[in-house]
Amino acid sequence: MNTLEARNITKAYSGHVALKDVSISVKKGNVFGLLGPNGAGKTSLIRIINQITGPDNGEVWFNGEKLKPEHVEKIGYLPEERGLYKKMKVGEQCMYFAQLKGLSAKEAKAKLMDWFTRFGIEAWWDKKIEDLSKGMAQKVQFITTVLHEPELLILDEPFSGFDPINAELIRNEMLRLKNNGSTIILSTHDMGSVEELCDEIALINRSQVILSGTVQEVKNHFRNQTFRIEYSGYAMDLGIALGAAFELISNTPDESGNVAIIRIPEGRKLNDLLAVLLKDLQIISVNEVVPDMNEIFIKAVNEFNNAQAV
Amino acid sequence: MNKILLIIKREYLVRVKKKSFIIMTLLGPLLFAGLMIGAVFVALSDSTQHNVLIVDPAGYLIKQEVADYKASGLERPRFKDTEDLTYEFTTITPTEEEFKNSHHSLWVQLDSVSYGDGMCEFYVKKLPSLEVQNRIQEELEASLEQWRVKKFGMDWKTYQSVKQGVTLNTHNVEKPDSGEHLREMAGVGFGFSLIIYMFIFIYGVQVMRGVIEEKTNRIIEVIISSVKPFQLMMGKIIGIGLVGLTQFVLWVVFSGIAVVVIGMVMGTSAEVPGNLNGEMIANPGVGGSMSLIENSEPVSFLLNVPWMQLIFAFLFYFIGGFLLYASLFAAIGAAVDQDTDTQQFMPFVTIPLVFGFIVSEFLWQNPEGTTGTIFGILPLTSPVVMMVKTAMGWNSSNVWELIVSMLLLIGAFVGTVWVAGRIYRVGILMYGKKATYKELWKWVRYKG
Repeated sequence: MNTLEARNITKAYSGHVALKDVSISVKKGNVFGLLGPNGAGKTSLIRIINQITGPDNGEVWFNGEKLKPEHVEKIGYLPEERGLYKKMKVGEQCMYFAQLKGLSAKEAKAKLMDWFTRFGIEAWWDKKIEDLSKGMAQKVQFITTVLHEPELLILDEPFSGFDPINAELIRNEMLRLKNNGSTIILSTHDMGSVEELCDEIALINRSQVILSGTVQEVKNHFRNQTFRIEYSGYAMDLGIALGAAFELISNTPDESGNVAIIRIPEGRKLNDLLAVLLKDLQIISVNEVVPDMNEIFIKAVNEFNNAQAV
Repeated sequence: MNKILLIIKREYLVRVKKKSFIIMTLLGPLLFAGLMIGAVFVALSDSTQHNVLIVDPAGYLIKQEVADYKASGLERPRFKDTEDLTYEFTTITPTEEEFKNSHHSLWVQLDSVSYGDGMCEFYVKKLPSLEVQNRIQEELEASLEQWRVKKFGMDWKTYQSVKQGVTLNTHNVEKPDSGEHLREMAGVGFGFSLIIYMFIFIYGVQVMRGVIEEKTNRIIEVIISSVKPFQLMMGKIIGIGLVGLTQFVLWVVFSGIAVVVIGMVMGTSAEVPGNLNGEMIANPGVGGSMSLIENSEPVSFLLNVPWMQLIFAFLFYFIGGFLLYASLFAAIGAAVDQDTDTQQFMPFVTIPLVFGFIVSEFLWQNPEGTTGTIFGILPLTSPVVMMVKTAMGWNSSNVWELIVSMLLLIGAFVGTVWVAGRIYRVGILMYGKKATYKELWKWVRYKG
């Protein structure tokens, strides 16, 4: 079942098209990576899901219902541009946000106490935000986002501003929320965390979804039969053995021997390559070179932009 | 709890808990009362002792005012020595140096023509208060007048019956209750105008600052993912408006207390000059007791002021005017990124408001002018102007102005809130650039 479905969303601002026929579906309990270069339209889509703005065309469905105002209480949103009331006390502020999300004062207090204890920040309750460091304020902000146990959590660059220890804390909390059944949309440029956390992704570029699917599907899509082969023997022999049948991308000496990156053209298989190599060289290891998300991101965006430029 | 109530509560509590609010609320009335009483006392009382030397070269006044009375054993009716003013006469003109070194503080020099045309030279070591100058001038006028009557061989009684001024006794047939005190009543209304003007400015700017703060803090996006921008804007406006009302009510209460306390400290009200009572009561911010009014002729017009109408109109225009202007201030806040950028849009708000204030002041001087009718109806000026008009009372022939003005204010408020709301919902999410008027118009027309 899908927690969220955006169908054919189009949004334009005075002549500039922010989203063009964008569709995504986010399965319940998944972490969904919303990727894309700056200005691609991610924030516009997130704002539409949060009902901050409405789409010009298209529909958003939440848990099988057309999106309606009451749904904001089931969504938690941590925007990239975030802040708190500097002069307000931490406790008062958290209570305010929790009640805006529909919690009663009593519920809010109990849940806050729980979170404050877990983060070890009970002593901050009566402190003003302006007396906290940036990282501390970010923690408070994270709590206010997740306190009402939203079914859908939208996190826009959640790790920015955190030191590695606190980033790890947030990462673990995200996984805990996921295990408790929350669905998460994660918008980030940190491709490492995409690989680590996301089940599915959608890559938005120039207002359109140009790539989507599970992380594995996307990676498979970008596999191009390239292998890393560690061998011993003369490097020159490798080149001669390959001839024109295979594409030698690189061939460099390594600590343990020589390492070559070779791409197998369509119609041929790894066995064909190995058959050729085994004649003259001793093979130590063979690994497929699978592109990481960072490379996929760059490749997909560049290919799309180049195709549009033509 | 309803979200808009939550926002109102936050906006209200954050502000009333501020030290600056508490200090201003406590000190405001004291400052006001103190300033007013102080100013009146300074104006009325000049504690300096003045010794006036009147140089009368021909000796006419010396004979008439001093010698003759001395001879007859009567007390002289003019140039009486009082605590703060004593007179000495001489026929010998001193040099400036001699005057400087003398014990006289003021010197009035008559010459041969002064007896005829009344032109005298007035030398001072330090300029006395206007009140002291007036007293000296009046004494000299009366004295010279009597001398001239005698000189021309006229009978004093005949002269008095010839010299009669004209008094216009006002009877306003449209407003029979107002009697001749229309101007004073307008003055009371002007006091209320001043309060509305002040509160719209102070608290309207707070609304604008609040919006800018939420924008620059980047908190806005979090909030409007929970509430609609319109709810946030209205919550903010109403919350801050309530802070203003709270401060106003507390000021009235504390001012009352302050006046009573200051009155007690200064002694009984008999020692307070008559028009001071008037001043205190005429200013609604300071309050006053009705028993003082009844015994005090200069302030009896206060009984003619239609207080119920005035208080009702005050609440209506206070709230209506604030909502109208505050939504404009909110739209300005949403259209900019920082305080300094607001200057581009501020004239739209400040010019009508200041203009309304100027019209009110003008109306006070000319209570039934057409200007008042026009600007009392226009919504941007009516909250300030209508206070003066209401204080003078309404009747069947002109009450339509009040009704039209109120309806227009409601209509304008609804329209302005709608436009401001549309600018607001787009503006709060726009960072890093200053909006132009063209863009604002686009924002108003955005759908979705």
